[in-house]
Amino acid sequence: MNWRPFIEHADVLWAGLFLTLRLMVFGIIGSAIVGVTIGALGVSSQYFLRQLCATYVEVMRNVPLVVKLFFLYFILGLDAFPAALLGLVIHQSAFIADVTSAGLRSIPHEQTEAAFATGLGDVQSFIYVLFPQFLRVTIPAFTNQAIELLKNSALVSLIGLQDLTFVAQNIQIETYRYKESFIVVTTLYVALTFAIVGVMSALQRRLRTH
Amino acid sequence: MCLAAAIAVLIYFARDFEWHILWRYRQFLLEGLLTTLVLTSVSISLGMVVAIVLATTRLYGPRWLRYVATAIIEIVRAIPQLLILLWVFFVVPELSGRKFTPELSATIAFIIIAASYLAEVIRGGLMSVDRLQFESGYATGLSKASIFMSIVLPQAVRNMLPALLATWIMLFKTTTLAYVIGIIEFFHAATIVNSRELIPYTTYAMLAIVYFVCCYVIAVIVRRLDPKYVLRSA
Repeated sequence: MNWRPFIEHADVLWAGLFLTLRLMVFGIIGSAIVGVTIGALGVSSQYFLRQLCATYVEVMRNVPLVVKLFFLYFILGLDAFPAALLGLVIHQSAFIADVTSAGLRSIPHEQTEAAFATGLGDVQSFIYVLFPQFLRVTIPAFTNQAIELLKNSALVSLIGLQDLTFVAQNIQIETYRYKESFIVVTTLYVALTFAIVGVMSALQRRLRTH
Repeated sequence: MCLAAAIAVLIYFARDFEWHILWRYRQFLLEGLLTTLVLTSVSISLGMVVAIVLATTRLYGPRWLRYVATAIIEIVRAIPQLLILLWVFFVVPELSGRKFTPELSATIAFIIIAASYLAEVIRGGLMSVDRLQFESGYATGLSKASIFMSIVLPQAVRNMLPALLATWIMLFKTTTLAYVIGIIEFFHAATIVNSRELIPYTTYAMLAIVYFVCCYVIAVIVRRLDPKYVLRSA
């Protein structure tokens, strides 16, 4: 096996990895914020708010990511990186919203009643009582969603964004080093997956000691 | 109820879309949809066979084989599906020397993807059956094979049904990736029509509606079967 092409193209590879990393970090943060908000609104006491969130979740979950990315980039005409980030965030936030709603519903209703009895309002009881408990329960599911976001980020190469998949394809086409390319890219994606799992476990450990 | 409101809003805005242009291409688009459905169903069926082998190896095989099966499942589930598709299309012919048609590469790639997700579903289903069932079977004097066939397997299959349908939904949405290999599935057909007639909003509205209807119907069935199941991403 000849690794020379990868050492020569290391800067391009690093640029692709860095773009994937940026998409991953901003994507996870963005979709977590949007997803948790919509999920929290999805268990609220207002009927129309619940239905609105349910509609958003169902629509955004059932339309494939490729369709959304193409629509944002080719039809709406956004630039490549914003279109990719927006598409990923919208797509993943629907799944995170579903996970959030399930997690919030799993907290016993006595907690909400106790919070109301102590005089906390709707939003306050969410922030101080429900949210910490819910975080502890749903971190494993969040980890899964983060890994799914990483895997979905490979699709942005279809819009022409130069992420890791795109760069690897380029190197592979130029140098015909298929086996080495496969090993390098697989290792990088698995390494990124391990990084996500590590960060999430550290987060979980910190939450448990509180 | 909100769905009815959403449909009403959609009909209001979509009144002046050029649906009649799309209607002229209905045969082409329906053929694409058929290709998508066939690709999904074939990959699930054949992937199920491979998945059964993988799952039983992972749960009941000798130790070294168990590691191999676990490694295969975890690696295939950790790398993006687009990568798997591209490797099967570009790399495998290079390594084996034979030419693969795009349809064959797509089918093989989706079978690999389906098999690894289904192996996890099967493993979950088998592990969800209470250990008590095994022990009761042993206590009654049944053999291992007969316990598996008559007691454990029916319960496991009933438990894995929601996850199975959810995997179907995931695979249905993943078939849009076959676009890069050149297969004329539904999404590719719609983009071809769009590039010919230049009616982007109509085309993408139709894409969204069709994918939504197909996946939502199955998702409703999943939720009917198991209200607590959380559908995974794709």
